[in-house]
Amino acid sequence: MRRAANPRLRRSPRSRGLLPLLAAATCTVVGAGALFGGVLRSDATADAGGDRAAPLIARGVSLLDRARATGNPALYGSAEKVLVEAEAVDRRSSEAQAALASLALLRHQFEVALVHAERARMLAPHVSQHHALVGDALIELGRYREAFAAFDRMATIRPGLAAYARVAYARELVGRPGAALQAHRLAIEAAGPRPTVKAAALAQLGELHISTGRLDGAEAAFRSALRVSPGFGAALEGLAHVEGSRGNYGRAIRLARHAGAAGTETLGDLYLLTGRNRLAEREYAKSHAFARKEARHGVRIDLEVAEFAADHGVRLGEAVTRARRAHRMRPSIDADSVLGWALTRNGRCREALPYAHRALRLGTKDAEALFRRGMVDRCLGRPASAARWFARAVAVSPHFSLLWSPAARRYAVAAYDS
Amino acid sequence: MRALALISLAGAAAILLAVAARGTGPEPGQASSHREAPLISEDPSADNTDLYAFRSPDKPNTLTVISNFIPGEDPAAGPNYYTFSPRARYNIHIDRSGDGRADITYRFRFRTRPGTLFLGNTEQPYTVQRIVRGRSRIVARGVTPPNNIGPRTLKERNYRQVAANRVYALAGGGQVFAGQRDDAFFGDVGAIFDLLAIRKGTGDKGGGRDFFAGYAVHALALQIPISQVDTKSHVIGIWSTSERQRVTIRGGRARNAWVQVSRLGNPLVNEVIIPTTLKDLWNRMTPAQEARFAKHYREPILAKVMNQLYKLGVPEKNRNDLVAVLLTGVNQPKLNYTGPKLADMLRINLSIPVTQPGDFNRLGVLGKDLQGWPNGRRLGDDVIDIAERAVAGALVGKQVPLGDGVDFPDKPRLPVFPYEADPGEGFANEKGR
Repeated sequence: MRRAANPRLRRSPRSRGLLPLLAAATCTVVGAGALFGGVLRSDATADAGGDRAAPLIARGVSLLDRARATGNPALYGSAEKVLVEAEAVDRRSSEAQAALASLALLRHQFEVALVHAERARMLAPHVSQHHALVGDALIELGRYREAFAAFDRMATIRPGLAAYARVAYARELVGRPGAALQAHRLAIEAAGPRPTVKAAALAQLGELHISTGRLDGAEAAFRSALRVSPGFGAALEGLAHVEGSRGNYGRAIRLARHAGAAGTETLGDLYLLTGRNRLAEREYAKSHAFARKEARHGVRIDLEVAEFAADHGVRLGEAVTRARRAHRMRPSIDADSVLGWALTRNGRCREALPYAHRALRLGTKDAEALFRRGMVDRCLGRPASAARWFARAVAVSPHFSLLWSPAARRYAVAAYDS
Repeated sequence: MRALALISLAGAAAILLAVAARGTGPEPGQASSHREAPLISEDPSADNTDLYAFRSPDKPNTLTVISNFIPGEDPAAGPNYYTFSPRARYNIHIDRSGDGRADITYRFRFRTRPGTLFLGNTEQPYTVQRIVRGRSRIVARGVTPPNNIGPRTLKERNYRQVAANRVYALAGGGQVFAGQRDDAFFGDVGAIFDLLAIRKGTGDKGGGRDFFAGYAVHALALQIPISQVDTKSHVIGIWSTSERQRVTIRGGRARNAWVQVSRLGNPLVNEVIIPTTLKDLWNRMTPAQEARFAKHYREPILAKVMNQLYKLGVPEKNRNDLVAVLLTGVNQPKLNYTGPKLADMLRINLSIPVTQPGDFNRLGVLGKDLQGWPNGRRLGDDVIDIAERAVAGALVGKQVPLGDGVDFPDKPRLPVFPYEADPGEGFANEKGR
């Protein structure tokens, strides 16, 4: 399933999140702030709390950056320990708060992230990154109006990659893919000469193209990403999806294999689609093992596990429990979609309906959410209404999911026949 | 912004202090032969790194202004080639009245030739506009030379000739160049990255390692007749900015506002004086709005740090000497005063003659060489050492021979415009000596 920190880029905008791009662009303002005043020698005497906090913050941020770059959640615990100590030493350090917010975001502890981000923003309201952190937390908590205000504010303080990427993402969420495309282009250009950052921005553009059904555009974006950063996992995985959507399973499997951690679940799905169930199970097991590792290090994985279960029709009862738990903590359209889907797959469609409905409340052009909405109506015995949802889903993108797009296309066609 | 300034004590207590604010420098993973730099620029292609202004040594009736962008360009990095951003505006501003507002602005806009960047075409067509009282006129069109990637990409082998062919005349007099240059900045910041390893025995006796050796930047260079910018006092203020466009979630294709994202007047202000939590704000403001930051100049945190670590007895408060140098220009003695308005600008007195080569002193005014920083800034001025000594109190009678042990850049400057040396060749990979 989606890895919390290095999530597989899914096709639906709402589930994609910003973390793939943020994972590539390192957290710089926090690091710089922590180091000001000296990377002091550990035996230097200092009386003010600010000076003692600086080396702790530097160490904590460095651990965080390494965790983000390697995708290894084992460093979260040590980062937290160091940063909590920094916070205790200097309660007025906005850098410590910002770093703690970043850590909480990586662990999907969004309400915790919001507390720290808001503190950082209050302590230092002129730092654009603090508005970004607040917005990132609010998005996942489903508080979209406030999140968008935070993103707009950061784009006013400091236009650049971080702001453009968020504006692009928010535009997708409110159903403006054309405007999102423009902002994605700005983001790509603002990534400048940093290869992994540029590749991540290009991969995001590729995902936008997939979500709007443009496989050729997606392919071009992913190939550009690979030219910029050869072997970039998210781009290889994206190309695997493109080739799989075209029915070129052999090619798709080869690409997904090379994508490393980013390609595990897609590879499993491709094996499943080509009848190699044992190989599929092996990939899924790898995914689950990593999720358990993340969980051991404080990452909340309920939503990801629930979505995998619902998509693959395994442990469906657990899917609902986990989805509900996740939804309580983070009532975003993401959680709405997953909870609705988990309930639907358990045949509890009347319960599913309000969630499937709310998943579309922002007007996102989300083929997957539209498809899942159609599945609710199909389950409730409303074929005409279901047909309309399926048709809309396929009109947005006939390639939103390797596993479910075929069904969506079938049901949409069947609707015209009846 | 520049990376780290190091201070070291001469003699027995040779300790390195790293004062790091907003960091810039070669990016880990790209700079394969270099130590990991923990501080990375957030927006490298719009990031101002250095500003220089001096009477041209070979044409003393002209003023040369050089503004460097894109810190830590690794000549051997590929396939990512460094370029100016086509979605940014790059500006050099000149204040002739001492009010901290631009009277003349030179604005550079770059295009990228479509579809060819990945094949290594880093040549960018550009225009230079001259803006006075809100009216703008294009005064030059040019193309940057290709980045010095290596002999296989560069069709002509003589890079000097290629670059020399990309110097263009400015309408109304003068010359312009834009493109990749060797990074003229020099300083030892390596120790800080090496887990606080201490390089003993430096100070003002050399022996430091130039972190920036072999790296490149992208430069804007202007050479303008002094008669076009001169004033009654002969002092003008100069600063450089970059801008990007703001977009909002609900906004559309409509003309988006330009927001200033980087500014640079005097060197090291952003790195050493302005607290991290105010940098985004400082970068957006004009020099005319400097007053709200005045207390950070008057009570510089670097002085506190110096005292805390090394017990130098540096005056920590009421540093009106630093305010004078950085924000108004020096009036006692008459050097480059522009008036009482506080503004961070590089102030140059255009009547002070070019120092003869034999009399050049890297410590500028502190070394009795009046053509050096803070009176303008030449490529060879050792701003780290000057800044350290100034903060330690050189202007108020407290002489501490501080220095980072790197006293000159890795490459000699060119004898002609644009003066900054040609960038090192990527293929040869001479970084980080």
